[in-house]
Amino acid sequence: MSNPAEERYVEMSNLIKAYPNPYGDDIKVIDGFNLKIRKGEVVGVIGHSGCGKSTVLTMLAGLNPITSGGIIVDGREISGPGPDRAVVFQSPCLLPWMTAYGNVKLGVDRVYPHATPQMRHDLIAYYLGIVGLSDAMHRYPRELSGGMQQRVGIARAIALQPKVLLLDEPFGRLDSLTRMELQDVILEILDREKLTTVLITHDVDEAIYMCDRVCMMTNGPGAKVGNLMTIPFERPRHRAEILEHPDYYNYRGELICFLEEQEELKGDRPAKPEPKDGVGEDTHTDLVAQEDTSTEIPVLNDELESHVTDTEMVKVN
Amino acid sequence: MESLKYTLLKIIHVSGLTFLEPVVRLCYGEEPQLQLKKIGRFIVIPSLTFLAFLVAWALIAPVYKTKSGEVPTPAVVWDAAQGVKRFHERESDKQVAYGLSGDERESSLAAVSEQRAILNSLKADADEQVAEASEERTALVAEEMEPLATAYETKKAEFKQAEKRREAALIVKASQIDQRDIDAKNELLAYIRGHEFQTEQERELLKQLKAEQDDVRNLTYAPLQNAMRLQTEIAEKEQYLAKKEEILSKANRSLKLEEEAARLKELKLQYAATTGPDLMPIAQQMLQIEGRMQKIVDSEYAKPWTLPMQIMRSLACVFAGFFLATAIAIPIGVLCGVSPTFMAAVTPFIALFKPVSPIVWLPISLIIVGGVITDPETHWLMVGMSNLPLIGWLQINPAFIASAITVALCSLWPTLVNTALGVASIDKDHLNVARVLRLNFFQRLTKIVIPSALPLIFAGLRISLGVGWMVLIAAELLSSSEGIGKFVWDMFNNGSSETFAQMFVVVFVVGVIGLLLDRIMIIFQRLVSFDGAPAAI
Repeated sequence: MSNPAEERYVEMSNLIKAYPNPYGDDIKVIDGFNLKIRKGEVVGVIGHSGCGKSTVLTMLAGLNPITSGGIIVDGREISGPGPDRAVVFQSPCLLPWMTAYGNVKLGVDRVYPHATPQMRHDLIAYYLGIVGLSDAMHRYPRELSGGMQQRVGIARAIALQPKVLLLDEPFGRLDSLTRMELQDVILEILDREKLTTVLITHDVDEAIYMCDRVCMMTNGPGAKVGNLMTIPFERPRHRAEILEHPDYYNYRGELICFLEEQEELKGDRPAKPEPKDGVGEDTHTDLVAQEDTSTEIPVLNDELESHVTDTEMVKVN
Repeated sequence: MESLKYTLLKIIHVSGLTFLEPVVRLCYGEEPQLQLKKIGRFIVIPSLTFLAFLVAWALIAPVYKTKSGEVPTPAVVWDAAQGVKRFHERESDKQVAYGLSGDERESSLAAVSEQRAILNSLKADADEQVAEASEERTALVAEEMEPLATAYETKKAEFKQAEKRREAALIVKASQIDQRDIDAKNELLAYIRGHEFQTEQERELLKQLKAEQDDVRNLTYAPLQNAMRLQTEIAEKEQYLAKKEEILSKANRSLKLEEEAARLKELKLQYAATTGPDLMPIAQQMLQIEGRMQKIVDSEYAKPWTLPMQIMRSLACVFAGFFLATAIAIPIGVLCGVSPTFMAAVTPFIALFKPVSPIVWLPISLIIVGGVITDPETHWLMVGMSNLPLIGWLQINPAFIASAITVALCSLWPTLVNTALGVASIDKDHLNVARVLRLNFFQRLTKIVIPSALPLIFAGLRISLGVGWMVLIAAELLSSSEGIGKFVWDMFNNGSSETFAQMFVVVFVVGVIGLLLDRIMIIFQRLVSFDGAPAAI
């Protein structure tokens, strides 16, 4: 990992994204975003909703034009989207007229144009297999649950063998149990394939559990990298071990502190009412609430409680 | 058993025949009460309303009389439908008879002779019945006429006498009036006016009595009518059998061929035996016969157009127009959806031509087609199509093509607009997939854009086919292109009560076929709708 090219496998330098407001002035949503990512590293981007996390990711994906600055992937500046940067969105956005197999095949056919049909079939079956969909390969998206659809989305992205895997809140719309299952599925794949990954999330625990480094973004407009935190837990990781690790709550505390600071900087905005179910909702109020109770959490931290999400923990308290 | 149930339910769902669903569920004993309620709503109620419609029709129709006779009742329309069917069957039968040869021909001929013999006895019976009924009717009329006639005569005599009496009295009165007595003269005038009025009234009364007599004379006597209908039916059958017999015997293709072959053989023998310049005319004659034989081999029975054949031709025409419309509308619609600039360029044309009536398009396309195909008898396209195996008998002519073009011009709009809408409203996420995969234009079109727009495209096609079917009947009626429309026009021009009823038959035929076409399109629409949502009924 000392190779400088591998140290700066993905490099975003002085990235600016500006949108015109109704008066014709440019509002810089992202202003001076700098980040270097090593090859094979999993970097989480965390921040309040609306701070521009997804904007950074879509620019990296090439789906959103860059106003100023540059993105270099594997020594080449990107221009437009491409299969070297596969995206998994919050909604699975599978093509509903194709089966799970067909959805993955579309990408595989494109990336391996010279492979024999048998080889392609094996590839598709392999990737659907590692996300646990061997039995549901020929089902249509409408016949699959939300979690299974997202698995297809993940298989489709990984099957492209991308240089960078971009995950845009991939578990945002899933219920907590499915979310944990899928986190494990992705971690396992990342450990095996050693993919360079950018994970957008607003879930502190998810960031600590899955990432090697967490990039904390300041609030927009004019969002940039506020802080970087390395999480040196060994891979492969196991949820129970991580949760019991003595450093876990230090990392967690640091992240939450940062997020709370950002919230205070914004001024005294009235706290939003707590959402009824935490799935897919903006959870920053929960995070604040959680910090108050964080000293009590280890009490709940037995086998069963470790599967309960943030929101539900708050409710228990 | 369960799997059969699910297969049935699936078929019902796909075909949109949802009213059958409670029947299937009831057969499997699933919530019988709920199913019975549904059957009541979706099967019994519609049946009852239809029945009520038939009853109302049967009651109201005879009230209104036209120059083509009474408006036909459901029973008369049903008879007319049978007549149409019988005509078709008999013509098909004759067609077969023309091609028969050998033993088949002979056995068929024997059968026809037998049938004719039976028919003859039936005919005698029918004639007798008619005569009997006619006599009965005459007797009945005479019986009813007698009192009326006497009453009339008496009244007539009475009125005549009364008139004479009044006149005589007036003359007497007039002779008594003094020349200067104006009052008396005026009084006389009033008397005379009264007398004239009286006479007029008496005349009216007599006329009324006369009309009563006429009514009796024109009395419809049901047994006689039935007997006469039977007689006509037998006469028609007799005519058909006679014609068939002729076709099986002297007008038969194989017999004609045999005859020619015999003559040819004779000539050949002669040719072999002759020498010198006489050979020439014999050879010419032989060649002539050979040519004639070829013509006979190729000949077919000159079958007139029957309604089932006209229906087939109409269907062929509507599909020709529909496919033409589809071939034009889908590519243009896709381009419109893909490119807003192209859409802007095309919009004025869509807005301008969409509301134009088929009645305007038809003459224009008739003239244009007539300009391209100036001589349909020899034009390569017409000749080529008449030689095609399956559609040759349709006799595709310029009128057919013009009708198809009219159908296309009127029915391409819904497909065009829907395709453009479907392509334009494609999900942005799906386009992002295409962008990430860097699909080229063609791949994007075939893998993403068209599949995504298919449900809306098919919704448009369904509307187009419905519009096309409606337009076609009018186009055929105007262009005299053989088909259902032409049938209606012929029936209208015929103007008899029977043909009037046959026009009602067409109403139902057109309705049922339109319904079936719509059903077929619904099935296609369901098959391509990926979200599993049922298409609108």
